[in-house]
Amino acid sequence: MKADTTIETTVTGPRTFSMPLGPVHVALEEPVYFHLEVEGETVRKVTLTSGHVHRGMEALAAQRNLIKNVTLTERVCSLCSNSHSFTYCMAVENVLGISIPMRARYLRTMSEEIKRVASHLFNTAIQAHIIGYKSLFMHTMEVREIMQDVKETVYGNRMNISSNCIGGVKCDLTPELFKYILGALDKVEPLVDELREIYATNPLVLGRTKGIGMFPKEDALRLGIVGPVARGSGICKDVRKDSPYAAYPLVDFKVVVKDGACCHTRTQLRFDEIFESISIIRQCCRDTPDGPLVAPMNEIRVAEAVARTEAPRGEVFYYIRTDGTDVPARLKWRVPSYMNWEALPVMMKNCNVADVALITNTIDPCVSCTER
Amino acid sequence: MQETIAGNGAVIDAIAPLCTGVNAVRHNSDTFGNGYHWFRLDDPKSMTKAAEPLAKAGARLCMASAYNRRQPADPRQEICYHFELDGAVYNITAPLADEGASVPSITAFFANADWHEREMMELYGVKVSDQPNPRRLFLDERKDKGLLDGAVPLSVMMNGACSKDLWEHILKDKESDKA
Repeated sequence: MKADTTIETTVTGPRTFSMPLGPVHVALEEPVYFHLEVEGETVRKVTLTSGHVHRGMEALAAQRNLIKNVTLTERVCSLCSNSHSFTYCMAVENVLGISIPMRARYLRTMSEEIKRVASHLFNTAIQAHIIGYKSLFMHTMEVREIMQDVKETVYGNRMNISSNCIGGVKCDLTPELFKYILGALDKVEPLVDELREIYATNPLVLGRTKGIGMFPKEDALRLGIVGPVARGSGICKDVRKDSPYAAYPLVDFKVVVKDGACCHTRTQLRFDEIFESISIIRQCCRDTPDGPLVAPMNEIRVAEAVARTEAPRGEVFYYIRTDGTDVPARLKWRVPSYMNWEALPVMMKNCNVADVALITNTIDPCVSCTER
Repeated sequence: MQETIAGNGAVIDAIAPLCTGVNAVRHNSDTFGNGYHWFRLDDPKSMTKAAEPLAKAGARLCMASAYNRRQPADPRQEICYHFELDGAVYNITAPLADEGASVPSITAFFANADWHEREMMELYGVKVSDQPNPRRLFLDERKDKGLLDGAVPLSVMMNGACSKDLWEHILKDKESDKA
């Protein structure tokens, strides 16, 4: 058996008790099992066991053609769904030598940032939920709903927006839709600013998050941590700047980096990133040129390529091998959560048992996409 | 005009002597100008020698991709390690020519190699020598090692597609568990 769902405590040493948490737990969004060694209320050691939602998606990808795999990869993750089809399409474009049209570069950038705003708001809302601050949870989700409406109105779906295709994008935007997005941003921006202030100053939130789940920079470097978790520990890494793609080299934005290294810092960093995303979306609405949406396919050769992007949770990495047929010989991907799980034993060392779920949430974990 | 591909010269110079085959060292870039460097090691055991200069230069291990080769003339399995350094990606392929071949663990240089190595061990049955934590990563211990290493007949794969067959399998497993 993978893990026992019953919570029990057994004596394993003179003062240390063994305590299973999960895989199904009210404060965990997805199934994962923590084996905690606790001394009283203090966690001394954490061992993680996953594998409860392994779907064998990489094996499925090797049985579908390149076009069908766009649909499959969009279903790796719900919150980062667009990042997967985006990076997969980039990997295919790299292996086939396709250069996508400029309009598609801007539209891809815009859809990615719309998803990032919604994803960051979801993560901060869940933090309020775990703390037990239900009204703040509801309010954050209500603000997020504006971005969900944007996705539904522009792309026709609230989660899997199916915007990307090999060579460009499927979904074109009319001038009316650009205007609608700008209006939605004008509405959401002051509300997010208000939320940022609440999360930054409310004593209930601060009491549960400030100085909790410390994650030093040297550990982040040692473990190869990515995304907001790394940037919250003072590491200036962002694929959008380090290896520019789509329209990111053409828009103005800054990489948000903070040194606090605690749960509070990671939350504030996500709020600051939302404002950068809003700025990028506005620039895309203003600067997207007219032109074709898709570049034609090239001949499929025997080749290999990689691609990476910055998803809301951090770097997404894809590797593809083609053997001259339309079915990839190998498609492998690595999601940001895969790298970031290893941060938890460091963050949870000597924390309270009650903070385990809260700390877990600040790495913005996705079990389903980690296990694929 | 000659294209300039971004990369760390010292790292490339340190890894290139480990790759003496035809086209064993390649460099390319994508349409956005990002650099990719590809190395194919002569011997999988020299993976630690390739990892060392990358670790010293401050590279980050992004992923390791194990896969089976389909042509009989090719090595049976290969592992492609992907590292990132200053925005460029370094891909190092270790060919595993025969069934008993192993690749050394690089966890001494990259702590985050642990999960990648455990995953290739459980899904492809790759032998990783000196792996300090050789536990299963995702799959239950009762599942065979190297699930993706080998051909599965379509008839076997389709067993779960028919609801009657599926429930018969579950009941049979349940009975054998009781026994």
